[in-house]
Amino acid sequence: MAKYFGIDRIFTFLKTIKETGGLKASLYKLYRMDSLRPGQLVGTDKYGNKYYENPHYFYGRNRWVEYAPYYGMDYDGSQVPAEWFGWLHYKTDLLPDKDPSRPKYKWMLDHTENLSGTPGQYMPYSTTLPKIEAWRPPAK
Amino acid sequence: MLRITFTKVLNGAKLSPKHIYVATRAQSGEVKKPEKVEVFIDDKPVYVEPGTTVLQAAAMIGVEIPRFCYHERLAVAGNCRMCLVEVEKSPKPVAACAMPVMKGWRIKTDSEMTRKAREGIMEFLLVNHPLDCPICDQGGECDLQDQSMAFGSDRSRFTDIEFSGKRAVEDKDIGPLIKTIMTRCIHCTRCIRFASEVAGVDDLGTTGRGNDMQVGTYVEKLFMSELSGNIIDLCPVGALTSKPYSFTARPWEIRKVDSIDVLDAVGSNIIVSTRTGEVMRIVPRVNEEINEEWLADKSRFAYDGLKRQRLVTPMIRDCNGELKPVDWEAALLTVAKVIKNAGSQVGAIAGGLADAEVLVAVKDLLNKLGSEALCTEHTFPLDGSGTDLRSSYLLNNKIAGVEEADLVLLIGTNPRLEAPLLNSRLRKGWIHNELQVALIGPKVDLRYDYEHLGDDAKVLKEIVSGRHQFSSKLKSAKKPLIIVGSELLERADGAAVLSAVQTLAANTPSQDKDWKVLNILHKVASQVAAFDIGYTPGVDKIREGNLKALLLIGADEGAIDKSDLPQDCFVIYQGHHGDQGASIADAILPGAAYTEKQATYVNTEGRAQETLVAVTAPGRAREDWKIIRALSEIIGAKLPYDNLNEIRCRLEEVAPHLTRYGSAEEANYFKQAEQLAKKIKIQLDECTPIDVKIKELQDYFMTDAITRASPTMAKCVQAVLKQKQSKY
Amino acid sequence: MKRGDWYKTKEILLKGPDWIVNELKVSGLRGRGGAGFPTGMKWSFMNRPSDGRPRYLVVNADEGEPGTCKDREIMRHDPHKLVEGCLIAGKAIGAKAAYIYIRGEFYNEASNMQVAIAEAYQAGFLGKNACGSGYDFDVFMHRGAGAYICGEETALIESIEGKQGKPRLKPPFPADVGVFGCPTTVNNVETIAVAPTICRRGGTWFASFGRTRNSGTKLFNISGHVNRPCTVEEEMSIPLKELIQKHAGDVTGGWDNLLAIIPGGSSTPLIPKKVCEDAIMDFDGLVACQTSLGTAAIIVMDKSTDIVLAIARLLMFYKHESCGQCTPCREGVPWMNKMIYRFVDGNAKPEEIDMLWEISKQVEGHSICALADGAAWPVQGLIRHFRPELEERMRKFHEKQSASC
Repeated sequence: MAKYFGIDRIFTFLKTIKETGGLKASLYKLYRMDSLRPGQLVGTDKYGNKYYENPHYFYGRNRWVEYAPYYGMDYDGSQVPAEWFGWLHYKTDLLPDKDPSRPKYKWMLDHTENLSGTPGQYMPYSTTLPKIEAWRPPAK
Repeated sequence: MLRITFTKVLNGAKLSPKHIYVATRAQSGEVKKPEKVEVFIDDKPVYVEPGTTVLQAAAMIGVEIPRFCYHERLAVAGNCRMCLVEVEKSPKPVAACAMPVMKGWRIKTDSEMTRKAREGIMEFLLVNHPLDCPICDQGGECDLQDQSMAFGSDRSRFTDIEFSGKRAVEDKDIGPLIKTIMTRCIHCTRCIRFASEVAGVDDLGTTGRGNDMQVGTYVEKLFMSELSGNIIDLCPVGALTSKPYSFTARPWEIRKVDSIDVLDAVGSNIIVSTRTGEVMRIVPRVNEEINEEWLADKSRFAYDGLKRQRLVTPMIRDCNGELKPVDWEAALLTVAKVIKNAGSQVGAIAGGLADAEVLVAVKDLLNKLGSEALCTEHTFPLDGSGTDLRSSYLLNNKIAGVEEADLVLLIGTNPRLEAPLLNSRLRKGWIHNELQVALIGPKVDLRYDYEHLGDDAKVLKEIVSGRHQFSSKLKSAKKPLIIVGSELLERADGAAVLSAVQTLAANTPSQDKDWKVLNILHKVASQVAAFDIGYTPGVDKIREGNLKALLLIGADEGAIDKSDLPQDCFVIYQGHHGDQGASIADAILPGAAYTEKQATYVNTEGRAQETLVAVTAPGRAREDWKIIRALSEIIGAKLPYDNLNEIRCRLEEVAPHLTRYGSAEEANYFKQAEQLAKKIKIQLDECTPIDVKIKELQDYFMTDAITRASPTMAKCVQAVLKQKQSKY
Repeated sequence: MKRGDWYKTKEILLKGPDWIVNELKVSGLRGRGGAGFPTGMKWSFMNRPSDGRPRYLVVNADEGEPGTCKDREIMRHDPHKLVEGCLIAGKAIGAKAAYIYIRGEFYNEASNMQVAIAEAYQAGFLGKNACGSGYDFDVFMHRGAGAYICGEETALIESIEGKQGKPRLKPPFPADVGVFGCPTTVNNVETIAVAPTICRRGGTWFASFGRTRNSGTKLFNISGHVNRPCTVEEEMSIPLKELIQKHAGDVTGGWDNLLAIIPGGSSTPLIPKKVCEDAIMDFDGLVACQTSLGTAAIIVMDKSTDIVLAIARLLMFYKHESCGQCTPCREGVPWMNKMIYRFVDGNAKPEEIDMLWEISKQVEGHSICALADGAAWPVQGLIRHFRPELEERMRKFHEKQSASC
């Protein structure tokens, strides 16, 4: 009955707000991620990103990530580490900690986000000589 | 007197009509106007003087005949045969460059026979020419390329490439300036003729014969000439290319900017080629009144000095006594404060590379502050008329006028190395015009014969008084010239020398009314403009005045030292190179070099010319006059000009000729100058021999801040010193 | 050494230059060096009023043309004829001195000449007041260094001046600007040597030999495949066949064994047997046969000759002797040389024969001096008359090559 009138959506909405942690937190989340939806937290990576799943949504929209709070508004896709990337993009349904075939070696580097456009970006040093060689005053 | 070249003069028809004219005049003693003859070129009638070659006659009506070996300023060789043209009723085609026209000739420059002959020659030239245009520096500005496109065949039939290939010739090492790829040589002998006729250095020649003929020096040696770079321009192919320029740029990707050379006082016209904001090379620009189409090596190759030892940011000496880079604001504020505090106790010294704009701006600024201590680094006698009358500090008879002289007396100068292009004129006169040269000063190699009158100042005195044997020669000469080196006038008794020379010049008659006997040859580009604007020659004023601030405008020759100045004197250096001046400065304001600013220079004959901006000044360096203008505003004595036009108007107010670009302003008041000169009291110092600083070729290359910074010039000095030790 | 030389030389000298020049004009003597320029006219160019420069006579004894040995004979056996000729020619042109530029290889001849000159000086024929005629005249010898190109008159002048022997541009002609920048006449040895005889016996006597415009006698050198190679003086305009049969004892193996003849030294085009039959040995006669008299050095080749190789060898000579000054000769002649050596083996395509012909035409007449012409003409003669031979060789070569593959 309630479903017939769509009142259940209101319940879902209220439940979602509750799960999120109140009205203020919900508004912030809506502002930050442009969406507010209920979901089940399936895991957290070591950077603090939270991964949610809600099979209620159709395939392709039912897994998402909530970036760690300290990224603020500066989040982007490269902040998802490789082990979660596969799950998030439906390459696998196994969570990283439950995947037995996932290799783990000592020499594997820690994941880093894409630093392009930031002060941490890679800059190759120049191999060309400067066109003008400046005068350096003789040291006293 | 059978000079080798004299036979060439007699060789009338081999030379241009001007030379013939000279030769006939030398023989008959009077000038007869010959009757003109009519010839037809491609059925177009043209009237020419007898003795004109077919090529010149064709050029008169705008028909250009292809050529490789022919060059207007060199003797005719006629060996490339590219200029063959058909003459009606002649069974064989004739070489247009060497054949004088005869009355009524009908010349066909585009007939079947002519075209066939050209195509044949082109084919022969290409038989042994490597097809390495893609890696050849001449590619894009190569006569052979252009002419094979225009006149050559459209396909090759050189089947022998499959059997025996082409000729290959070993490259020769003729110094750090010229790169040789002798396989590309087409044996036009232009370089050989230039070396022996214009440069006067008979180092180049041919060895071997037939297909094995090679152009070279026979034994490997340096091509020791101060004009050597010109053979690069002369070479119609890529056999002689510039070593510093090699593989750096292509002619179609460079921008060309007309400019003026400032490394000597001649003011040669140049083209600055730039690419990606960098000067790639400097080549001469034709100016018949100054450099014809030659350029001295220093002017041509010193451009890499513009990229080293540059001042790119303002600097201030900090409390530790070290020069530290600062931004313009801090620099200007500091300097302005110092100058303001100094009040009228501020002076300025202008160096050899300063342009007229900055000179006038500095003068205006200092005058506003109540100072008159404006000096040039190079001194000049002030007694007598001093620098008040232009006639006493100009090369009055002009550079081109030197050729017409019949007797030249050089006093205390080495024109070959102080003004190579003036010397090439002298040599031209010596070859073609029976010019006789005498020299008072050290015995230097001028590449032509001269009468050495000794290096004693006494000789000068004797000549002035008419007791010397040379006096009678001077009196009887039709067009005598006296050229005095500015260096001689820098001596303590310079005023006496100048007065003596002025008296001598006044007493030397010449047939031509407009002929000016007295000529001063300067060594630096800024000197004449500085005198015109009203700078005081010499730095005595600076030494005497108890200065609190001193502005050096590119003064790098060490005319003044810290020890000459009061302890608390603040030295500001404004210029483009870190050299002697910058190292003693307390503040440095980076300026622009001559390729980086639009600026006015006046050469030794009093001709104002302007440089144009080829590249922007590096880093934070700015145009010099703008720095002074900005400084003046902070000091609170704002100069009334905001752009180039306005400062040029100011220049015009000071001296109108400074903005009449291209023309040389005649000097006047010779008599008055001479009379004033008589009043001086200094006696000629007879004990000190007359000397010049630049005696030999190795002294020539590094003479100012730019050339001292140039690695190429350093290599030249090394090469010359090495060659001097070689036995060849 | 008195074979009628120095007889009445003084009288000839005293008759004056105009008479001598006129006598030579009447005789119709044409220069014996190869080009055939009328000598009388050449000398008359020197008769212009003096402008203060001395004049010189230069005798071209740099006889380097392959097959030619006429001047050598004169200098070896009759040096006084030349010395006397120098004096008379010198008088005719008003020269101050004569320079005899003798080929470096002619060592013995140079010695003979030097002896003859010394004898003439001792006898008072030369030097101050030569032959007592009041005319001062000196003769100098200059030995060359063995370059063929120095036989070209302007190159010879350069060589005397001590420079590289490279021909000058003309004009100005040597009559204007020659040795040391002074007016100069350059003449061949034979021309000079015959002058005294002409003066003694009269121009009309000399003109009575040969056809008009080709008058006089001439030294003919006959070499090659003949029974008796020799140098003979004969009347001009003698038929070629008669000359060979009369003096050289016929071609080896009889006249029918003849293949071709080069009639005027190596630089003239060859003529095959059928043209030789009725060729007349004088300037105009041989021009009619598309060749020229040149130095009249007849090179006879019988049927055993490899005619292509013979011409190739001549080209090799010209390639080696080219001075390298101007383009057509420097680049063209070695190219032709490369090609023709391939033709010897037949290693070429038939189209290349036309190409060689064209190249030889491109070389001819485009250079400063005539050496390039001399290199081009033998090739042209070969192609003109022996084209089937060349094509045959190429056919055989390619057959052989395809067979071996």
